[in-house]
Amino acid sequence: MISASLYIVVCSTKNRIRKRLARLREPRYLVGAIAGLAYFYFWFSTRARAGRRPPTRRPSASAAAEATAATIFAAAPSLVGIAVLLLAAVAWVLPFDSGLLEFSDAETEVLFPAPVSRRQLLLHRLLRSQAGILFGSIIIAIGSPVGGWKRFQISIGMWLLFLTTRVYYTGVTLARSRRSTTAWAPLAALGAAIAMVGAALVRAIAARPLVDPGELAARVGGAVTHGAAAIALWPFAALVRPLFADSAAAFAAAVSAGVVVLGVAVAWMLHGDDAFQDAAARAAARRVERAQTSRGGAVRARATGLSLALTGPPEPAFFWKNGVQTLRLTGLAAIRIVVAFLVIIVAVTSAVLNTMHLRGGAAAACAVAIAVAGFTAVLGPQIVRTDMRSDLLHLDLLKTWPVRPAAVVRGELAWPATLLTVVGWAAIACAAAFSPAAFPQVPALTRASLAGAALLLMPALVFAQYLVQNAAAIAFPGWVPLGNQRPRGVDAMGQRLIMLGATLLTVTALMLPGAVAGGAIWFAFQRWIGAAVFVPAAAVCTAIVMLEIAAATELLGPLFDRLDILAVERTE
Amino acid sequence: MALAVENLRRTYDGFVAVDDLSFAVRAGEIVGLIGPNGAGKTTTLRALAGILRPTAGRITIDGHDIIADAIEAKKRLAFMPDEPHLFEYLTVEEHLRLIARLYTVDGFEERSRALLQELELAGKEKALPGELSRGMRQKVVIACGLVRPATTLLFDEPLTGLDPIGIRRMRETIVARAREGAAVLLSSHLLHLVEEVCSRVIIMAAGKKVADGTFAELASRADLAAAGSNLEQIFMRVTGHD
Repeated sequence: MISASLYIVVCSTKNRIRKRLARLREPRYLVGAIAGLAYFYFWFSTRARAGRRPPTRRPSASAAAEATAATIFAAAPSLVGIAVLLLAAVAWVLPFDSGLLEFSDAETEVLFPAPVSRRQLLLHRLLRSQAGILFGSIIIAIGSPVGGWKRFQISIGMWLLFLTTRVYYTGVTLARSRRSTTAWAPLAALGAAIAMVGAALVRAIAARPLVDPGELAARVGGAVTHGAAAIALWPFAALVRPLFADSAAAFAAAVSAGVVVLGVAVAWMLHGDDAFQDAAARAAARRVERAQTSRGGAVRARATGLSLALTGPPEPAFFWKNGVQTLRLTGLAAIRIVVAFLVIIVAVTSAVLNTMHLRGGAAAACAVAIAVAGFTAVLGPQIVRTDMRSDLLHLDLLKTWPVRPAAVVRGELAWPATLLTVVGWAAIACAAAFSPAAFPQVPALTRASLAGAALLLMPALVFAQYLVQNAAAIAFPGWVPLGNQRPRGVDAMGQRLIMLGATLLTVTALMLPGAVAGGAIWFAFQRWIGAAVFVPAAAVCTAIVMLEIAAATELLGPLFDRLDILAVERTE
Repeated sequence: MALAVENLRRTYDGFVAVDDLSFAVRAGEIVGLIGPNGAGKTTTLRALAGILRPTAGRITIDGHDIIADAIEAKKRLAFMPDEPHLFEYLTVEEHLRLIARLYTVDGFEERSRALLQELELAGKEKALPGELSRGMRQKVVIACGLVRPATTLLFDEPLTGLDPIGIRRMRETIVARAREGAAVLLSSHLLHLVEEVCSRVIIMAAGKKVADGTFAELASRADLAAAGSNLEQIFMRVTGHD
């Protein structure tokens, strides 16, 4: 079976590489690959320079601080080992999943009926998962601020840690599925280990008052290096020790110990296959559910409160359709609860803080509200994609409808842009409510004027971004991930980088005429009406941007009309 | 002519999927479109439905060009694809309502109720596509096509996924719509279905039309006379598989 697994792994990898290389013949992938490789080159070279640079002693760093850092580093294997021990226990309580039991459809249909044991199937999955684990380990090593040999050490150490964790979680999943009481024995052993380590820690920490973090680390490290606690913690500390080894010999010894732990974990995972069938079936069900969710399919036919009249222009029909999609995916009840909860929290907090003259909390609330408004305006349109980006997957349906293409474009962006505008407005209203506490030095009129201007600008910012995102989806469907697709590869990553830059530039260009006009209003009237000038300036800016958006949707209409379905279908 | 196709050509990156295809379908006529895999049937139907732009040629629905006068042409057209693409988050009832809004359907409530009964979808109005079987989803696609008074109906493998009762119902539905005056173009690999419901057949191979006529006309053609009188024998001969 191992040879068959290797054959599948090698063939799949070879074909994937061949396919990715073949698509470089298309300019969009070639350009994306160049951008992606350039990004990686600069990232790697920056990290490499950082790794080669000798550690510099900051002038401000005192000898005491350096001693503390050294103490913490010395105790690191024990500290991280304790964290791994806790995670190992948590795995039994929370529904963690290693993904090792999630066989693909092809694996289920070809390998399950084949004359191979369940153990061999698990080993096959373990083999298939190696590429991802190795890649993740190497990326972490490259991202670490250390030199060459140490990077190798970290990548091997992380690989060992990730692999053992995956095997262990699979073992936990299988043990949970078993009906025998002995299956839970490892949990009892873990409980005992935690008790022993915990008791040692309590004794060490409670002995006398702590002076600094370094002393805490030293005491914790010291408490678990001898006696029963050391024995209990050994397998967990052994797994992380390769990361902290300070010589080649120590590293070799640490890896050997880690491999022993890995071997024990593998043996435990494979020791009985009675629960395999149930666990694999549950994992398959979860995979199907996740796939449905990513396609927007795992929805419930709950009432949305939105209705569609049988007559009228087409744009509201798209608004309704996309609204139903959002509400079915997130749940109207959940949205109602969150909104009601937020309103109550904001109102009560505001009243209490004002009554008690507590300015700190209100200022923090104001800052959070501003951050939410900014996040909504800038990143919201990248996240909420219930527009053309998800509906291009239904292009064959859209194309048969007797609707003006410009109306399709307008209708598609109407719902998500309106939704985010309302969210942004709510955040701005909160910020305005708390602003007296956050900005007491700013006059009330100025604050009110700025808040009014922000309210007016929010739809312009959000709609402009949606216009650009949807225009990109129509003009370059191959460059834009549709729905919840996440194309893989350096070329796809490069495409995303290019699209992000192009989108930001285009949004800036779209906002520019409005910004210039708003600036002119501010310049002309500021001396006459003072701080209140922000409102008319923002109103003019928004009016111009909205006019641009309306005109742009008309221009996008013919582009949508000519959009070839194959340009969409050929994306991954 | 309800549906007229003149010199239709469609290429994909240099590959000619449909080449110089011309035919017409009259109101009340059921025409079968058959051919081996890769013959260009689905490409033809997708071009007729306005999904694919023809590389060359002209398609009109009741005299309205599918490119130049797309909205008027599409109002008169209903395309039922073989793969039921539905919005995963809209119920059966909501799909029909959306179609009614976009196509401006008079008497929607009555039409919708009758259609759901006819297609055995009654009781499934509140169901999402993900909760339906493949056959049921196919019926929803067909219901979306038939809920509006289209003059031209395009069916691509309409029986895929249907049970025997559904197959019989669907045959009856297609024939009933033609009797009401709709022009029907039906693409299928099920030759017995085509033979049973179609009055004329168009056979395509490698993107070209290789035969067009009633069964009697095809059977009496000099080059086909020896093949036999049933559609399967004619199909094999025309496509070079006999």
